[in-house]
Amino acid sequence: MKDKSKFKLKHFINYIVIGAATIIFTILNFTGVLGLSEQFLLEKITIAIILAVSLGLVVGFLGELSLGHAGFMCIGAYIGGKISALLSSSSLGTGLPNLLISIIVGGIAAAIAGVAIGLPALRLKGDYLAIVTLAFGEIVKTLFLNSSDESFGGPIGLETPRYDRNHLFIIGFVLVLVMLAIIQNIIRSKHGRAITSIRDSEIAARATGINVTRYKLLVFALSAFFAGIAGVLYSFSNYRVQCTKFDYNYSIEILVMVVLGGMGSVNGSILSATLITFLQVQLASILTGDLAVLQNIFYALVLILIVIYNNAPALKGFRETHNLKTFFSKLFKKKKEDVDPSLVKDDEAKWNRIPTKINMDELLSMDVKVTESTMKPDKDKGGSS
Amino acid sequence: MKKWFTKVAMAVAVTLTAVFAAFLVGCQNKNKNEFVIGVSGPLTGPAAVYGLAVKNSAQMAVDEINEAGGLGGYKFKFVAVDDKHDASTVSTNYATLVKEGMQVSLGCVTTKPGLEFKSLSKEDNVFFMTPSATADNIPEFANGYQMCFADTKQGTYSANYVNDNVTTSNNKIGVLYRAGDDYSQGIYNNFKNQLAPKFTLVEASFTDDNPTDLSSQVELLKDCEFIFLPIYYTPASVFMLQAKDKVSADCVYFGCDGLDGIESSEGFDINSIPQEVSYLSHFNSNATEGAAKTYIDKYVAKYGKDTLNQFGASAYDCVYAIYNAMKAAYDKDNSKVTPNTSASDMCEVLKTEFQGGFSYSGVTGTNITWDRDGYVNKAAVKYVVKAKSN
Amino acid sequence: MSFIVTFLNGLSLGGVYALIALGYTMVYGIAKMLNFAHGDIIMVGGYVLFVFISLTGQPILAIIIAAFLCSLLGISMEKAAYKPLRGASPLAVLITAIGVSYFLQSLAQIIFGAAPKFVIIADLGVITFGELVIPVYSVITLAISILIMIALSLFIKFTKTGRAMIAVSEDKAAAQIMGINVNTIITVTFLIGSFLAAVASVFYLLKAPNISPTFGSKPGIKAFTAAVIGGIGSIPGAMLGGFLLGIVEVFSNSVPAIAPYTDAIEFLILIVILLVRPTGILGKKRREKV
Repeated sequence: MKDKSKFKLKHFINYIVIGAATIIFTILNFTGVLGLSEQFLLEKITIAIILAVSLGLVVGFLGELSLGHAGFMCIGAYIGGKISALLSSSSLGTGLPNLLISIIVGGIAAAIAGVAIGLPALRLKGDYLAIVTLAFGEIVKTLFLNSSDESFGGPIGLETPRYDRNHLFIIGFVLVLVMLAIIQNIIRSKHGRAITSIRDSEIAARATGINVTRYKLLVFALSAFFAGIAGVLYSFSNYRVQCTKFDYNYSIEILVMVVLGGMGSVNGSILSATLITFLQVQLASILTGDLAVLQNIFYALVLILIVIYNNAPALKGFRETHNLKTFFSKLFKKKKEDVDPSLVKDDEAKWNRIPTKINMDELLSMDVKVTESTMKPDKDKGGSS
Repeated sequence: MKKWFTKVAMAVAVTLTAVFAAFLVGCQNKNKNEFVIGVSGPLTGPAAVYGLAVKNSAQMAVDEINEAGGLGGYKFKFVAVDDKHDASTVSTNYATLVKEGMQVSLGCVTTKPGLEFKSLSKEDNVFFMTPSATADNIPEFANGYQMCFADTKQGTYSANYVNDNVTTSNNKIGVLYRAGDDYSQGIYNNFKNQLAPKFTLVEASFTDDNPTDLSSQVELLKDCEFIFLPIYYTPASVFMLQAKDKVSADCVYFGCDGLDGIESSEGFDINSIPQEVSYLSHFNSNATEGAAKTYIDKYVAKYGKDTLNQFGASAYDCVYAIYNAMKAAYDKDNSKVTPNTSASDMCEVLKTEFQGGFSYSGVTGTNITWDRDGYVNKAAVKYVVKAKSN
Repeated sequence: MSFIVTFLNGLSLGGVYALIALGYTMVYGIAKMLNFAHGDIIMVGGYVLFVFISLTGQPILAIIIAAFLCSLLGISMEKAAYKPLRGASPLAVLITAIGVSYFLQSLAQIIFGAAPKFVIIADLGVITFGELVIPVYSVITLAISILIMIALSLFIKFTKTGRAMIAVSEDKAAAQIMGINVNTIITVTFLIGSFLAAVASVFYLLKAPNISPTFGSKPGIKAFTAAVIGGIGSIPGAMLGGFLLGIVEVFSNSVPAIAPYTDAIEFLILIVILLVRPTGILGKKRREKV
C-alpha cells in the first residue's frame, strides 16, 4: 500500500520531458526562432511518436506482430480528413473544434477497423497474423485508391484543410501527452498486467481467468485508435491525403521504430521515433542532388548495425560495457549502481520463440522450481520446530 | 530509474540540439550572390528515372547559363531534393529549399507530391513552373505554371486525333491504362469522355508501376486494331513484347508523352515489335534535327542515354523559360531581379512577364505561351517511333 | 477457349510465384525468419543476367553465373547480417532483413542507375494449337517450376542434408544434439532459396524483360502471401499457394471492372483462407501442449 501512495518520478519523467519540450518549443515558436523546417519536422516527429507508441502496444505488450499499422492510419487520415473537409465548409471553419471533431471521428473509425482485424487475431498467431494485418493494410489502400473522385479523391487523393503550421505541432505534442496518459495508465493497471501475461503465455493467462478475447480486442482497438489519430494529424499537416503513402513499407518503418526502441518500452519508442524521423529528414535535406541515393544506404547500414549491436548474442559482453548508460554515468562521474536485473527486463517481449509453440520443458521446470521454493520454508519450519 | 532518465534526457538533448543546429544553418544565407532555383523530385525509388532526368537537365541548363555569364553578373544555383514520389516528404523538402534561398522553383517532378507543393508554395507566393507534373489542378493558383500538357489536354488531343484519323474495321478502340495512377487514369477518363460514340471502347488495366504479367490484358485487347496506351514506356514495352504475337501486326499502338523514351531504352529493340508505335507529345528523344537534337546530343554526352526522356527536355525548357523571363524583366528594371529579391517579389515579376505576351521557343516546342491559368500552349506533335513492319 | 488460355497464363505466373515462395518457405521453415530481402535477390539475379548477357551474349552462361552469384549473395547475406543474430529475437532479424533490402536496392541504383534495363534472354516464340496461342516461356516456366518442386521434395525426403533440414525445422536444439551442424544447414537453406530466386529471375525476365532497382519488392510480397496461403514451411503448400495466387491474379485482371482491385482480392483470399485454416492450406497444425 505504501508503494501506491509514493510518487514515483520514473513514472512521470516522460510527461515532464515532453511537457517541457512542448513549452520550450511553443515559446521558441512565438518568439519567431522556429523556422518552417523545424515546424514541419516537429509535426512529423509527433505523428511518428503516436504511431510508434501505439504500435508498441500491440507488438511489445500484447506480443503480436502487426504489419498493418499504416492501414489504420490510412483510415483515420481519410475519414478524419473527409470530416474536416466537410466541416470546414460549414460554419465551424478550419479551427480547433474542427480538428477535435475530426480527430475523434477518425480515431473511432480506425478503432472499429482495429476490432475487425482483432477478431482474426483471436485465431491466428505470429507470422500468420502479421500477414493478415499486412493484407488488411493493402486492402484498405486499394479501396481508397479506387474510390471515386467525389468521395475520397481516387488516385490524386483527398483534399483536406491544412491546419495553421504555427500551432499544429503544439497540438501534436498535446496529443502525445494525452496518449501517454491513457496508454501508460492502462499498462500500469491490472489490465496492463493482464495484457503482458497474455504475451508471456496465453494459455496460462486464460487459465488464471483472464478474458483473453476482450483484452486482445481492446489492445487492437486502442492501438488502431491512436494510429487513426496520427492519420488525422497527418491529414491536417498536409494539403492532401494520398493513400499510396500508407503501404506496407510504411508499416514496416513504424515497426522499425518500435523494435529499435526496445520491445515493451514506451520511452524507447518515443526516443527511436524521434531519432529516426529526425535522421530521415536530415538525410533528405543534406543529401540533395546526386547524393540523394546515399540516403538509403546510410539508413540501411545504421539500421543493420544498431540491430546487430542491440541484439547479437555474441556481443552481449561488449554491450554491457559499452552502452549509453555507462557512457553517461562516466560522463556525470557517478558511481555505477547495481541495477536489479528483474527491473531491467520488466516490460520486454520475448520473441526468441514462436508464440504458437509452448515450451513444454520450460513449463515443467518452472513448476518444479515453484514447488521447491514453496517447500523450502516448510522444511525450515519443520527443522526449527 | 536511470535507464528511463538517460533515454529521455537523450531524446530531449538530441531534439534540442537538432533544432538549434538546423536553426543556425538556416541563418546563414542572408546576403546571397546567386539566384537559386529549386526542385523536389524522386531521385530514388521506382520513379527515380524521371526525377533524375529533371535534375540532370536542369543542372545542365543552369551550367550553360552560368557559363554564358549568368544574369546581371550573378550566377544561378540549382538545388534538387529527393521526395521519393511521396507527398509527405514535400513539406520538409520545401522547407529545405526555402532555407537554401530558393527564389524560383520547378515545383515537383511528379503529380502526387506536386499537389502538395502547389499549395505550400502558394502560402509564400513562390513562382514555380513544373516540367512534368501533369494533373489539371497543378497550376490552380496564380503562382503555378506547367511546361507539360495537362492530363485533360492530353486525353482530349488523343481522342480528337482518334476521332479524326482512325478507322477500324470493328470500330473497337482498345485502351490499356494503369488503375490508381493519377497520370494514366486522368488521361484515360478524358479520352473516354471525348471519344466519338461510333467507337466501342475495350478497356484493360493493371496496377503495378512495373507489371510483369500482362497476359490477361493482352487477351482482352487482342482483337483491337488500335490500342491507346496512356502509360509510361516501361509497362508499355512489357505489353508490346507480350502482345506481339497475339495482336494483329496491323494494329497501331498510340500513346501520350509517357511513351517517350521507349525506343532509347537500353536493351529493348523496338524493331522486334511488328506493330506501329506512335505517340502524341511535345518531345521526341529520337529527334534528328532542331533544338531537340542539340539538347539530346548534349544530354547523352553528359549523362548517357539512360535517363533521356521528355521529363528532362521539359525541365531544360523550364529553366530557360524562367531565365528568359527573368532576363526580360531585368532588362526593364534591373533592381527588381537580383539574388536578394524575395521569392514573392520574384513571383510577381515573373507572373507579369509570363502574362505579358512572353513567348519561348526551345526543345519541346516553338512559340510556347502560357494562358492565364498557367497552362501551356504549344503544339502536340504525333511522333511515329516505328512504322508497321512488313 | 479464352478460359483455357487465361488458365494457362495463370499457371505460368503461378509457377514463378511458386518458385520464389519455395525459397521463402524453406528459409522460414528452417531459419524461422521472414526474409524481406528475398525479393531483392531476384533483382540482383536480374542485373547479373543483364550484365552477362550484354557482355557475352550467351544466355545459358549468364543464367549459370546468375544462379552462382545469387547463391553466393544469399550465403554472404546470411553470414553477415543474420548469423550474428542467431538466438536473438526473430523481430531483430526481420529488421536487418529490411535493412539488407534497402541496402541492395540503393546499391543497384548506384551501380546501374534508376532507369529500367531491358534484358532479352531469348525470344522463344509461341506454340499454336488451332486457335490456342501459347507463349513457349509459359510452358517452360510451368514445367521447370514443377520439376524443381519435385526435385526439392525428393532432395528433402531422401538425402542426408534434406532430412537434416527437416530435423532443424522441427527442433533446432534436438537436431544439434543428434550431431547436425545447424549453421551449415541454415547456410544450405539460404543457398537453395537464393538459387531458386535466381531461377525465378530468369522466368521473370522471359516474361517481362525489364529490371529496375525496386523490381524485387512486389514478387517478394506476392511470394510471402503465396507461402502463407499454402502454409509456411510446407513445400507443396508453397507451390499450391503460388499457383492459386497466379490464377486469381490473371483471372481478376481479365475482368476490366474488377482489375483495379486485383491486389485487394488476392489479399482478401489470403485472409479468408487463414480464417478457415489458421496455418494455411497445407500447414501443419501446431497443437499447444500444456
